[in-house]
Amino acid sequence: MTAHGSAPEPPIADTSTAQQREADAGTPVVDTANAWLDDGVNRCARCGSTEIQLRVSTGHLVCLFCRHEWTEAHIEPLVAGEGSLRDLTGTVIASGATDLVADDGMLTMKCSGCGAEVVVNTAEATSSRCHWCRHLLTVNEQVPNGAVPDAVLPFSVTRDQAVEHIKLFAQKRRTFAHRRFVKEFTPGNVVGVYLPYMVVDSNASGDVHGVGEVETRQYTRGTGDNKRTVYDADVHRVERHVDLTVDDLTLESSTERAHMNAFVNTNNVINTILPFDTKNAVQWNASYLVGYTSERRDADVAALVPELEDQLLSIVRSQVQSSVKTYDRGVRWEGERLEVHGTRWVSMYLPVWLYSYYHDEGGTPMVHYIAVNGRTGETMGSVPVSQWRLVTAALVTGTVLESIVIAMLGLW
Amino acid sequence: MNAALLAAYAVEVHAESGTPWVLLLAGPAGAVAVYWTLFRYYRNTDKSHSFERETLIEAMPVTGQDPKIDTVRGTERREVRGNNVSEHRQRVQRLP
Ligand SMILES: [Zn+2]
Ligand SMILES: [Zn+2]
Repeated sequence: MTAHGSAPEPPIADTSTAQQREADAGTPVVDTANAWLDDGVNRCARCGSTEIQLRVSTGHLVCLFCRHEWTEAHIEPLVAGEGSLRDLTGTVIASGATDLVADDGMLTMKCSGCGAEVVVNTAEATSSRCHWCRHLLTVNEQVPNGAVPDAVLPFSVTRDQAVEHIKLFAQKRRTFAHRRFVKEFTPGNVVGVYLPYMVVDSNASGDVHGVGEVETRQYTRGTGDNKRTVYDADVHRVERHVDLTVDDLTLESSTERAHMNAFVNTNNVINTILPFDTKNAVQWNASYLVGYTSERRDADVAALVPELEDQLLSIVRSQVQSSVKTYDRGVRWEGERLEVHGTRWVSMYLPVWLYSYYHDEGGTPMVHYIAVNGRTGETMGSVPVSQWRLVTAALVTGTVLESIVIAMLGLW
Repeated sequence: MNAALLAAYAVEVHAESGTPWVLLLAGPAGAVAVYWTLFRYYRNTDKSHSFERETLIEAMPVTGQDPKIDTVRGTERREVRGNNVSEHRQRVQRLP
C-alpha cells in the first residue's frame, strides 16, 4: 500500500480508468475498481479526513470533519458503455464479480448462533452482532473473505422509517402471533445490512412448444341426474419464439440466502422485497458501509448460471402468454429452449433493514424476519404464529358454519 | 370463500334431489380455509419477487405457428390436460 498523495484528487467520475481488458481465459472483464481509493484508505477529498459515512437523507457520503458531501459515480455507464443490450454477446464480468479469492480487506466472521457469515468493517465496533440472529460475533471465527463488490446502492430509507414500517407490519399481525414474539417485539433492534447480489443483463432467445385447445362447442348430455356439460375443441400444436433483453435481473449471491424453501427457512421474505432501483448503484466505496453490516458473496458466476437460466425461461413463458390468448382451454407447454447470446455480471451490495426474531417451537428452530427494502421501503416478513390461537379461530369458524348447515338440513 | 362456494354448489346440485348431505363438509372446509388464510397472512410462505413483471424486459414481437392437429368431441374436461399456460416457473422438458 502506498500513501495517498497530499492533495487528493476530487472524487468525480473518472471513466477513463474503466478500461476493458481481456482476461487470459477470454472472458472480458470490466474493471470497476475505484481508482482514487487504490491506497485502501477512504479519505475526504477536501480535508483528507477518514471520518466518512453515508448521509441517508441525501444518499451522499459526508465528511464528518468538514461536512464536505459527494457521491461516487454511477456504476451502470462504467460497465455498460455505449452499446445496446441487443448487441451483448459472450460473458462479460465486472471486476468485482470475478471468481472469489481470499482477501483480507475486511473481516468475515462466522456466527455461532445461526452459522451465517457476516462481513464486518474492522474499524466499526458497532457491527459485531450477527444481523440475522443478533448473536455476538467473536474474532476467532474468521473465515476467508469474499471479493469487494463492483457497486453499492446506498440506503435511502432511514432507520426511523424502517422501524415504522416494521411496527406497522407487526401490528397488523398481532392477534394470532406467538405470544412470546408479541412480548419480545423490539423494532428498535432493526439492523441495516448490505446483502450481496449479482445484477445480470442478458441477451437471449427462447422457444417453447406445446399443445393448445380452442373450445368450439359446449352442450349438455344425458337427462335428469345424469345431465352433464361436455365440450368440443380444436387441438393445435403451438410453437413460439421470442428474442429479448433483460436488464438488471437481480440474483442472491449468498448461497445460504438463495436457498428458498418457505417451510424450513424464511429466505423467501428477503427475496420478496426485490426489486431495487439498481440503476442508481454507485461505484464501490467502503465508507457507504460505515454503521451497517454486510454479508459476503460466496457464489461465483458459474454457480449462478442455472438460476439465471431458470429465471430467463420463466420470463420467456411469461412473454409468450399474451400470444396464446386464443386458446381459451389453455396451453400445455411441453418443451422449452433457451439460447443465451450474452450476459453481463455486476456484483452489488443492496441495502436491507432487517428485524430478526429467533423462534424455537417444539425443537424446530427458525429465524423469522421482517425486512424493509432500504430504497423503496417495501416491507415483507414472517411472524411466528400461535398455533393454539390459529386452530381455535379455525375451529370456531368451522363450528359456526356447521351449525348453520345442520339447522338448514333440519328444516329440509 | 371456499365454504360459501361449496354450499352454493351443493344447493344448486341437490335442489331437486333429496337431502344435500354434502353441505356437512362446509364446517371442515371453512375451518381449513380460515387456518390457511391466516397462516399465509402471518408467515407469507407463498410470496416471492415477481421478476417476470418487475424487471426491465425488452422483447421483440413473438413469432410462431399454430397448426391444427386434432379435434376432441364431447369431453368433460374444462381445459386442456396439464394446462400450464400461467405456470411460468414450472419447468418443462429442456430442449437442446
Ligand atoms: Zn472533509
Ligand atoms: Zn447469526
